[in-house]
Amino acid sequence: MAEVSEDAFLLASRGVARDLGAWVVGAVFDAANRAAFVLADGTLRLPDAGEWRAITAHEGGILSAAADIKDGWLTGGDDGLLMRTAPDGSTTRIADYKGKWVDHVAAHETGLRAAAVGKTVHLLGPAGPLKALAHPSSVGGIAFDTKGKRIAASHYNGASLWFVGAKEDKPRVLEWKGSHHAIAFSPDGTHVVTAMQEPALHGWRLTDGQHMRMSGYPTKTRSIAFTSKGRWLATSGAESIVLWPFFGGGPMGKAPTELAGGDEVMVTAVACHPQHEVVAAGFGDGLVLMAEIASGKVVPVAPPSGSPVSALAWSPNGAGLAFGTEAGRAGIVDLSRRS
Amino acid sequence: MSETKTETQIPVTVLTGYLGAGKTTLLNRILSENHGRKFAVVINEFGELGVDNDLVVDADEEVFEMNNGCICCTVRGDLIRIIGGLMKRKGRFDGIIVETTGLADPAPVAQTFFVDEDVKRATKLDAIVTVVDAKHLPARLKDSPEAQEQIAFADIIVLNKMDLVTPEEGDEVERLIKAINPYAEIRRSTKSDVPLESVIGRDAFNLARILEREPDFLEHDDHEHDSEVNSVSFEVSKPIDAEKFNAWISQLLQTKGQDLLRTKGILYYAGDNRRFAFQAVHMIADGDYIGEVKEGDPRKSKIVFIGRDLNRPQLRRGFEACQVEG
Repeated sequence: MAEVSEDAFLLASRGVARDLGAWVVGAVFDAANRAAFVLADGTLRLPDAGEWRAITAHEGGILSAAADIKDGWLTGGDDGLLMRTAPDGSTTRIADYKGKWVDHVAAHETGLRAAAVGKTVHLLGPAGPLKALAHPSSVGGIAFDTKGKRIAASHYNGASLWFVGAKEDKPRVLEWKGSHHAIAFSPDGTHVVTAMQEPALHGWRLTDGQHMRMSGYPTKTRSIAFTSKGRWLATSGAESIVLWPFFGGGPMGKAPTELAGGDEVMVTAVACHPQHEVVAAGFGDGLVLMAEIASGKVVPVAPPSGSPVSALAWSPNGAGLAFGTEAGRAGIVDLSRRS
Repeated sequence: MSETKTETQIPVTVLTGYLGAGKTTLLNRILSENHGRKFAVVINEFGELGVDNDLVVDADEEVFEMNNGCICCTVRGDLIRIIGGLMKRKGRFDGIIVETTGLADPAPVAQTFFVDEDVKRATKLDAIVTVVDAKHLPARLKDSPEAQEQIAFADIIVLNKMDLVTPEEGDEVERLIKAINPYAEIRRSTKSDVPLESVIGRDAFNLARILEREPDFLEHDDHEHDSEVNSVSFEVSKPIDAEKFNAWISQLLQTKGQDLLRTKGILYYAGDNRRFAFQAVHMIADGDYIGEVKEGDPRKSKIVFIGRDLNRPQLRRGFEACQVEG
């Protein structure tokens, strides 16, 4: 993208960016399409028109963030707290894990919250704790399925699948040797995929336990996301956006599709559009772009700022795209149709 | 292990030692001394004493095997996770200290800094510091492979509780340590009272500093072996054939890597006016050129192995065969 002029980036015409001075852990839209940048310094920044509000949610650093149940944001910190920040900026302590790092958080619109603390995934309802799910080793990532019926947690030598409403908590254990981190359910709930310590992904087809190995990455994959209908799995970790086909018998025996490559800079974050087969990607130099899968057409979003993109998200209505970098640059673009 | 980003990489000190040797005393000494430096401390959950520091992280010592076909390539998953978290808030500390449990094998900790790309990018291993109890070490060496490994891996050994032994006993303990690892620097102490600069900021894994320190004992002293772990070193004066050396060392680390705890070498390749430094922890190796040959340099290539069941004649023949003929 070296030859692209500044004006060609959507950020120039439709966006705004700020330097926030701390590692952007998450760019998170809540269900009402309100954005928050979640920073490692313990604050959330709400990009309102004019001044961006800064809200201190944690005493220490923030390690993880997700959209909260109906609105607002859920964050986990190295202060051991699980916090909710409401759209008005008020904060509520949801749980206190006594100084243990809250490594991963997730929430579901049906009224569920989850926090991974060491080997345990704490499941909470609107009224408080529901259950604590124990794993054989530290949890590397958590994800609810689309319906909020199951939660998957990755760990050493595989992942565990739990029914949230089960009377007796016994996980279905998906085994694969190694250390597993980021985890994702396919939108239809039939597949679970993890990113591993080695530069590879592993997947399980839940109907028959079929294993899927997806490898060939030059670096660790940190970011994985299914497209809205689940036809493609977009991944970071290579010099292009690597997309694995989850249709026509794939991804087994199929080569992945690669988009927006060629600059010898690694993709560090991916996010899939909530309706269309469009994927946004952030790169190691701070470049952000989006690409249409069918045509391969690339639209530049933000020019390189020199620091890897660490957070990237679409708003649920597909009209907003927010990104942040390790050095603390945060931006948001408005893609809604202009009348 | 990259030499290019040293300025932005946070130094990490690994503190090992048997339960009761004085590890926590040393840790608290480092933290309480007025040096103006701030440390993030990673302690194991079952630590002996409280640690008074702003930034303490509990670790679980979760060791796992890498899926790279190398059975001794184990790393600390919890450390990868913790360092990842700490690095999001750089600027709060100048260094990281990782304390291990008394029974821990130091290899997975060390290997984490060679293997994980994120850890490598953000941090560098400064030194492995092992605290030992002068009174009880001889017994520990007899009954515990971990105690031997902790000495084998050490760059600096704090020989603690010297007030509890006679001078003769102290000398005997030093002899036992040197039989395992003559390259570690030994610091005698009581109550772990060693100068901070002797344990922090040592840059012991910097390739440019490999084998900088000559061991202070007779090189070919054939002492009887009190422990399974010991060391051998060889020196040759003819130039080394780079291809032959690579073939030999790769094969050796592949087949014997489990028993080779630490390997270090300085090589003079034929037709090259630069020195090549090499090091390995088990099978994981790292090497690079470390500058021009100095004026008057004797150009003697040297290799050191610290490990179990070392076959001295075989290793010697192997290294000698890497020399350029003629």
